[in-house]
This record gives sequence, C-alpha cells and structure tokens, in this order.
Amino acid sequence: AAMAKLILLWLKCVILYNAVGAVFEDQVGKFDWRQQYVGKVRFSHFDTHVQSSKKVLVATENNVFAALNTRTGELFWRHVDKSGPEGNIDALLHHGQDAILVVGNGRLLRSWDVNVGGLNWEIVLDSGSFQKACLVGQQGTVKNVAVLKKNIISLHYLSNGHQKWIENLPESETVDYQTVYSGGNGEVYALGIVPHSHVVIIAYSTDDGEIIKQISVEAPWLSNIVASCAVIGQGVLICVDSATPSLYMCDLHLDTHDLQMTQIPLQSLGLEVAPDFQPVLVSHQPNSAHQPLSEFFLQLGPDNFLLLQLNNGQIVTLRDFKPVRNLFSILACPGIAVACSINLFSAETGRRLLDTTLIFVMDPNGGKPEKIYIQPFLKKDDSVGYRAMVQTEDHTLTFIQQPGRVMWTREEALSDVVTMEMVDLPLTGTQAELEGEFGKKADGLMSMVFKRLSSQLILLQAWIAHLWKLFYDARKPRSQVKNEVTIENLSRDEFNLQKMMVMVTASGKLFGIDSKTGSILWRHYLEDVPSNAAFKLMVQRTTAHFPHPPQCTLLIKDQDTGLTTLHVFNPIFGKKSHVNPPALPQPILQSFLLPLMDQDYAKVLLLVDDQYKVSAFPSTKNVLQQLQEMASSIFFYLVDSSQGRLSGYRLRTDLSTEQIWEVVIPMEIQRIVSVKGKRPNEHVHSQGRVMGDRSVLYKYLNPNLLAVVTESTDTHQERSFVGIILIDGVTGRIIHEAVQRKARGPVHVVHSENWVVYEYWSTKSRRNEFSVIELYEGMELYNSTVFSSLDRPHAPQVLQQSYIFPSAISTMEATLTEKGITSRHLLIGLPSGGILSLPKMFLDPRRPEIVSEQSREENLIPYAPELMIRTEWFINYNQSISRVRGIHTSPSGLESTCLVVAYGLDIYQTRVYPSKQFDVLKDDYDYMLISSVLLALFFATMISKRLAEVKLLNRAWR
Amino acid sequence: MHLWMLLMFLGWCFTEMEAGPGAAMSTQTNGDRFKIEGRAIVPGVKTQDWVSTARVLVDGEEHVGFLRTDGSFAVNDVPSGSYVVEVVTPTYRFDPVRVDITSKGKMRYARLVNYIKTSEVIRQPYPLQIRSSGPHSYFMKRETWGWTDFLMNPMVMMMVLPLLIIVLLPKVVNTNDPEMRKEMEQSMNMLNPNPELPDVSELMTKLFSGSKGSSKAGSSSKGTRPAAKRR
Repeated sequence: AAMAKLILLWLKCVILYNAVGAVFEDQVGKFDWRQQYVGKVRFSHFDTHVQSSKKVLVATENNVFAALNTRTGELFWRHVDKSGPEGNIDALLHHGQDAILVVGNGRLLRSWDVNVGGLNWEIVLDSGSFQKACLVGQQGTVKNVAVLKKNIISLHYLSNGHQKWIENLPESETVDYQTVYSGGNGEVYALGIVPHSHVVIIAYSTDDGEIIKQISVEAPWLSNIVASCAVIGQGVLICVDSATPSLYMCDLHLDTHDLQMTQIPLQSLGLEVAPDFQPVLVSHQPNSAHQPLSEFFLQLGPDNFLLLQLNNGQIVTLRDFKPVRNLFSILACPGIAVACSINLFSAETGRRLLDTTLIFVMDPNGGKPEKIYIQPFLKKDDSVGYRAMVQTEDHTLTFIQQPGRVMWTREEALSDVVTMEMVDLPLTGTQAELEGEFGKKADGLMSMVFKRLSSQLILLQAWIAHLWKLFYDARKPRSQVKNEVTIENLSRDEFNLQKMMVMVTASGKLFGIDSKTGSILWRHYLEDVPSNAAFKLMVQRTTAHFPHPPQCTLLIKDQDTGLTTLHVFNPIFGKKSHVNPPALPQPILQSFLLPLMDQDYAKVLLLVDDQYKVSAFPSTKNVLQQLQEMASSIFFYLVDSSQGRLSGYRLRTDLSTEQIWEVVIPMEIQRIVSVKGKRPNEHVHSQGRVMGDRSVLYKYLNPNLLAVVTESTDTHQERSFVGIILIDGVTGRIIHEAVQRKARGPVHVVHSENWVVYEYWSTKSRRNEFSVIELYEGMELYNSTVFSSLDRPHAPQVLQQSYIFPSAISTMEATLTEKGITSRHLLIGLPSGGILSLPKMFLDPRRPEIVSEQSREENLIPYAPELMIRTEWFINYNQSISRVRGIHTSPSGLESTCLVVAYGLDIYQTRVYPSKQFDVLKDDYDYMLISSVLLALFFATMISKRLAEVKLLNRAWR
Repeated sequence: MHLWMLLMFLGWCFTEMEAGPGAAMSTQTNGDRFKIEGRAIVPGVKTQDWVSTARVLVDGEEHVGFLRTDGSFAVNDVPSGSYVVEVVTPTYRFDPVRVDITSKGKMRYARLVNYIKTSEVIRQPYPLQIRSSGPHSYFMKRETWGWTDFLMNPMVMMMVLPLLIIVLLPKVVNTNDPEMRKEMEQSMNMLNPNPELPDVSELMTKLFSGSKGSSKAGSSSKGTRPAAKRR
C-alpha cells in the first residue's frame, strides 16, 4: 500500500509540474500573432545617406524611436524609452548614419546608429528648458550639433557627444531665446525676443563659442519668432505680421548696429490675409552644411498657400496654391472627397513637375490627412520620382508609391488601445439551421425525422462543396491560393476559437480584428472624441439572437465635464447601428448592464446621472415594465475617490434612487486607488475544495463583493501602507480589511471566484510582493441554492498568505474559461515584455509550511517565500510586448482553452491551456503510431489465425 | 574554448578603453542625479546582433538605458537609492544585479540580488560586468515516442523479462541432464532449507488470487508460477 501511495504521489507530482502552461516549439505562430506599433509620429526622416536604404526613421509621441522598412512597413528596430515627460522626444536630427535625439525636455542628447539600431553615445545636458537644436556645418561638412536652452547654448561633437563649448546667453531673464540657426559658414545664430519690443540676434563662433556680434532689432509688432518668422536664403530673417499686414525682412549677416527691419506690405505683392488667421512662414534647409533655400511658403489662410522667392532683396510670388498643405508637396483635398492627390512642384520655378501627380483613395472611415513626408529620388532617366508617407488625423501612416499605389498602411492608433471586447462570430446559414434543429421544441415524430434528414443533407452538401473547393485550389499554383479573411466569409469555427476583437483606441478609432490572423476587418474613426475621454465598451446583444444583429455600445465620457455620448454599432461589421442612443444632457456617474433583456434580446444599460436619476437604454415600454418589477432587487454603488466616499443605492419602482449605505475612507490618511468587482461572465464550477480528510471546505462566492484598494497619503517609506477592503456592494457590509505596512503602490489587483490577489512594492525589503486573500464559508454551506447578500449571517473565514515576486509587474489578469472547470492561472505582464502564466496553485494561502499527510493528499505545494519566474511559463516566448497595459481574457467554446489578448504598445493574441488540452486531441497526437499499431495488430491476428489453421490441420493429419 | 577566451580578452580591452572617458564623466554629476554604468556581454555573439533589441531596466521601468554598439551602457539621471539593474533581451538571459548609490553618489557597489535576505551582500565589480548565462529557454520538449523509451519502461521490463526467462531458460539449461537436475535441486534446497515451509511464490499467488490485487503484480507472479512448477 505504501508503494502504491508513493506511485500515486509521484504521479501527482508529474501532473502538477506538467500541468503548467507552456509553449512547444512547433506551436510557434500556429495560433498566436503579434503586431508591433510605434505610436503617433512626431518627427520623421527618410534615411537617404545610402541610395539603396529602405529605412524611414520615426520618433513618436509614445517616446519610441524606430526605423521602418519602406517596402513593407515592418520594423527594422525599435527603441522604447521611459513613458512620460522624462522620455519625451523633443527633437530628431538626422545626418548620415547618425540620428540625434534630444530627450526629456533637453535632459539627454543621444546619438543612434541608424544601420545597426545601437546607441553611439548618450550625454546628460545641463538643466534648463529645451528650445531648439540644429546641426552645425562648416565648410561643407556637418560635425557639430547646437542645443539652445532657455539660458544656455552648447555645441557638441557629432562623433562622441563631447561638449565643444557652452555659453550663457546674455540677458536670459528678459530675453526669450527661441531658435537657433546655422548657415554653414562657421557661425551659430541664437535668436531671442523681448515680446512687443525687439529681437535679439547673437552670432557665436563655431570654433570657440566667442560672441562675434550681438544686435538687437526693433520689432514692436512681434510676439513669437517660431510662429511667425523663418530664416531663408543667405541668412535673411523674414517675419510676417498679421496686423499691418506685411512681411518684415532683415539680413543677419549685415554688420551694422542700427539694423532695421524693412517692411514689405502684403498689398504691394497683391496678397491678402484671410480674416482671423495668423499667417505662417515655412522655410526649408535641405542640408545643414549649406544655407536654406531662398524659396519659402507663406500660408495666408486655412487652405491658401503661396510659394515665394527672395531674389536680390525682392520678393517674388512663384505660385499661388489654393487648396494645399505642407512643404514642397501639395496635398489637395477638396472638401471631404474620398480621393486626394499629391503633386510635385519645382521649388526654383514653382512649376509642376511632369508625371508627378499621385492620386490615392482615402479611407472613408479614416481621418483627414495631417502631415506628409516625401522621399524624392532621381530615376534612371534623370526624371524625379518620389514616395510619400501620409499621416492622417487618426494616426494612420500610409506609404504611397507612384502612381498612387498604396505600399502599406500602419494603424498607429492601435498602439494606444484603451479597452476591448471579444465578440463571437455569427453562425453561417448551415450552422444556424443545425442549431435551429436542437433549439426548437419537438413537433411530431415525422417532422423531426424529416428535419434531421434535411439537416444531414445540408451538411453533406457543405462537405462536398468543401471538397470541391479543395480540389479546385489544388489545381491552381500555390501562390494564387489565398485564404484571406473578409467580413463576408467570417463564420464561427466549431470550437468558437475565432472571435472578433473589438478594440477601442485613445484617438477615438475603433477596430474590428480577426483574432485568428490579426487582420483588421473594419475600422471606424469617431471624429469628435475629446482628447481626455474615458471609454467603456459593452456588448448589449451577442450574435446568438439571429436575425437580430449583434450590438455593442461604446460610452465616451469627457473626464472634465462628465458629459457622455453613446456610440451604438454592430461589432461584426463596424457599422453604426440605426438604433438611436438617447441624448444625455447630464454628466453620467455610473453605467452598468443588467441581465434583463428587451423583446429584441438587447441587454438593458442603466445610466446614473449626477442627480442620481436613472435612465435606461433601450427604454421601450417592455423594458420599463421589467425594470419596475425588478427594481427592488437592483442595487448599485458609486465611488467618489476625490472625497474618499463609497455609497450604495437602490432602485425605486419610479426609477428614482435611494441611498442605503455609505462608507467614508478618511482622505487625510488614505485614498482610494481602485475598486474591483468580479467579472460578470465568470463561472465557478466547484462550490468547495475537498480537504485531505475528505471533508469539504466551501468557498464564499459572493457575486456582489468589491475589493477596494487604498494607498496612504503619507509616502514616507516607514509610514506608507497599502490597504485592501472587501465590501459587499449590496449591503455595504465590510467583509474583511487587510493592511500591508511599509508598502506602496502601484497596486495591481485581480478579483475572482473567492479570492483576491494583489501585488505591491514593499518599501522595507525593497521588493515586489504578492498577497492572496481567500474567503471560505467553512465546512457547511448556509444556503447552497442561491447566494443573497441580505441573508448571510456568518462572516466568512479569511486566509491570507504573501510571497516575494522577483520582478516588477505591469499588469495582471486571470484566465477565464467557459465553465470554470479548468484550473486558473494568473497572466502577469512584466516590464521585460514577457507574459508569465503563473498557476493560481502557487498563490494559495493554504500552502503549508510543514508538509503533512493531509496537505500532500490535497496536492498543496509546500510554502516557499519566493515565487519563481520560469521562462518556460512565458506564453509569448520571445515575442516580447512593450509596455503591456492590459490583458484581456475570453473563454472559447472549449473548456480547456482561454483566449488571451495582451495590449500595450504592441498587440499579442494567443491561446492558453491552463490544464493542458484535456478535451481535444493534442496537436502532437501521434496518428502514425496509433494507425501503425492498429495495422500491425490486424496483420498479426491474420497471420496467427493462418498459422493456427495450419497447425490444426497438421494435428488433424497426425 | 579558445574562441571564448579570445572574446573575453576582447571584452577586457574594450572596458579598458571605456574607463578613460567613463571615469571622467562620472565625476560630473548633475545635482543629486547619478549614473549607473556597466557592460553586458554575450559570449560568442557579435554585439550588433543583439543590442538593438536590448534595454537596461532599473527597478522595472523606472529608469531605462540603452546599449551602445559595443555592449556597454550607462543609465543617466538616477537619484540616490538602491536599485535592481537588469539587462533585458528577448533572446539572452542576464541575471539582475543590485546597485546602491549613497546620497553623496560616491560609494556605490553592486551585488547579486537576493530578495529573501536583502541585507546579504555579495559584491560585484563596478562598473558592472553583466555576462549572459545563455539563451532563454522558452519551450518545453515534446514527449517523443521512441522504441527505447517503450522498452525501458518498467512495466514493459516487468512483463518482458519473465517472459524471456520462461522461454529461454529451459532451452539454455538442459533439464534432461541428470547432473544438472541434481545440482538445481541442491541449490533449491539451499534456498528453501525447511521443506515444510510454503513456497514464496505459492504464497504470493494465494495472496493475490484472494484479494485480486493489482494486475501488474499479478501478471508478474503468474509469469513466475509456471516456471516454479516446471522445475
């Protein structure tokens, strides 16, 4: 018996350590995919130092610096800096194979090797707010970079970043130095301004930083150099004033002390400024070792551009562009037409170059074009060709080649996914037919038989069609066979593993992505979304209610005013629904979906406004009637973190509300960081846990339980603490309260089943720690049929245990399966880019310190203070995901399988099997072995039968 | 081995070269901000192949540094305190190191991370020398099926060996030889000095036929029973 036990134990161990989710090498790319993004582009340069270079450098608002392949749009390399203002990219300069970045409001100067993607050097600059940087050339070569700050100017070597010289700017308290300019003649000009008084021009020598000259020019009409001035030609400063309206000019190189700005009224040029428009000047310096071009743009109205030229002190109008944007490239967008065209014009003459018109079709669901980057090149026949990268309002990059062929598009809005849902795909006609057979009530034997036969016939037909298609595809060459997913051929697969990912991004663009391939099936740009909007996405009607279309509702809330709008759409096609959402004039405090449905199977969305009035959407008569009936059992809670107040409300039959409880957390001591409820679609399979002595410990499964996380306002490391309060959302009863002393946030919480797992930073031991709280009813269940918050007299038993975690974490989520039978795992996003699948088994407060017979029987792992990070548990192997912000888990049709989407800067989709694939054949199932064994057995029986016959015959002869 | 030695030497050369400007820079501190310097080495791999995917993370993503094309790094702008410095790449594994910077910024030393006993100190050289301990292992091995696995399985061994004995022994040992028989009887008597005591195998069969115990043990005893009888 002891032996048997030992074997059993050994088996258990094997199961235990094998049950942990891991990826096999042959599964790579089979059901997972990753998409890498960079974010909204702020600066971009084409790498032109080698003719064959295929790189375009982009620096983005997400503090990312990357090189994209211009042929495919994929990343060559990408460097993700710290998020927030400290990693903010202020300037991008590009010279040869070096790219110079100014980072963190002029804190750091970095040089990158464009080819390898490695760092050349990085230096810390003196403190001071950054104004402008420029490359400084001398005698045709660029060797230095000048950095202008509020009070200093410094020059650095391009080769190693060492400082050549640094000078304090004179009178920097009164003069606002705004820009720096170098014409490649050994001088660096710093241009400053005293608003409405004069302009200060200081010329420094490139060699030693000596002030060559210092001039101030009267300009009482000027308030900002950057907005209304530009340096053109041989160092001529040109400014525009909208009041007079006229252009002002002055030569920087003139060595006179009484320098004057010469005024040229725009009327003398025959020009007029559009009313209420601040004119803008744009100049261009193609090579920093040489002077800027003497041609420049003047924008006189929202869509009125002029190409002007400075010719021997005279300004000449070269061309008047009516509907245009940007420099050297004309992006004509007449109104809201769907097609845009780009023309190339010669800067010298203003004439349109031949064969350079490029017309491309804009996505009707996208935004308007915002910026354009042009890569011109000389063709073999010496004519000019070019490629264009167009950036639109919805952060999309489109790369276009002549004549209007879109090479690639990058949806950079997806670098900032805020929230998402996974929606089941609709059934195809045949599948719906089959479902219908089982769904309906029986109506007579004959009709049932007939129906069964007809459905089998349909299946047969579909199978033959499938075979025919296979046969047809096989005859075609392989390159022509395309299995592209489009909206038309989308249908649910047999295990419901393929779903529609509806993603909401911060820019207000919505995406529908096929979870199997990652291809974007639809996109929809919401134009008037406020920049600080909060989003909440809800699935009101799933695809299960054919012929009613599925319906999603996106709640867009302006966080300043609290005003909310609803966008109702079909999640499969992305089209705006014909259902009109109600107008919401009052700020909305809380919103939630009820399990109630209207006659069209849409779940009811309740919205609570700041007057504590409740409105329902949809609000048909049927819904209101149901609400009246159910009102006594509808409770909701509100959180006011600025006041530290949690309050519970009840719905009255007339749809007014009544406060029933209130918990105030003293603001002086601690503040509410987050409130987490349970996920409504979560199922718990087992009511309790079987103990070693065969008794059952029942779980405390309160669906109304809220986990409230607080952090101390005192951040001193000796006195700071993290608190967690478990409150019943219906009664306001505090079930449990735990405090972690000498700890601080950020706190990450997962609340599920009967447990809460949270992670915090221990200031005492300087490490990250995990803590788990589990709630149990005890050995007896009070009311096993239904849980009611109002009728639970006994407080639950609380168990808690803490562990050390050897890494910081970015986000955390638990796996979710259809019926909740599969064991749970925690999916932990790490800053290194890995997603760790940690079995919940390791976070179990019943892990014993001393192993006993019973704990062994129960499969408990002995307590160890440190949790391990094993790279085998990374579900995304080497496909690291930068800045993971959220992990979305969704059940599939298979109990063993949970669909996981991790989003941050990148998007990664995969499947996890927390208890291995117990309900389907594994993908390494050895068909060869089983069939060969069967065949061998078959032949063995045949042969042995034959032999036996021969033997019998022989015996009979004897 | 030779190659590795060579690389080590090269690495050392680079650090020597770095020491010049590096030392000069570290004295130039900005206010209360300091600089963590070091160098990451992957033995046997060119730096160009992996630096573009690598980052240096200080306390999670609190401070971020990048690797130069020769594998060295410097994380600038770090206030005084105690930090865990980690070099992160998707391909190679580097062990984290703890770096302490005093408020003066002068006394700084590096030690291996021990989360349980945070006071325990194993000093490491500074500037940091972080050597990769090999590539990450992300994948589980598939259970492959082979004949040797099948044959070496204890169950199969338990079944096959007695079978071999039953089939082969009578052929190898000539039982008809009277001398041999005598010898065997003698040896059996030695094993079984008291003939009144029941045979062990006999006992086993009785025991298992009575309790219908585990089939594996039963099958093995069934295997031995005819052998005993035949003798």
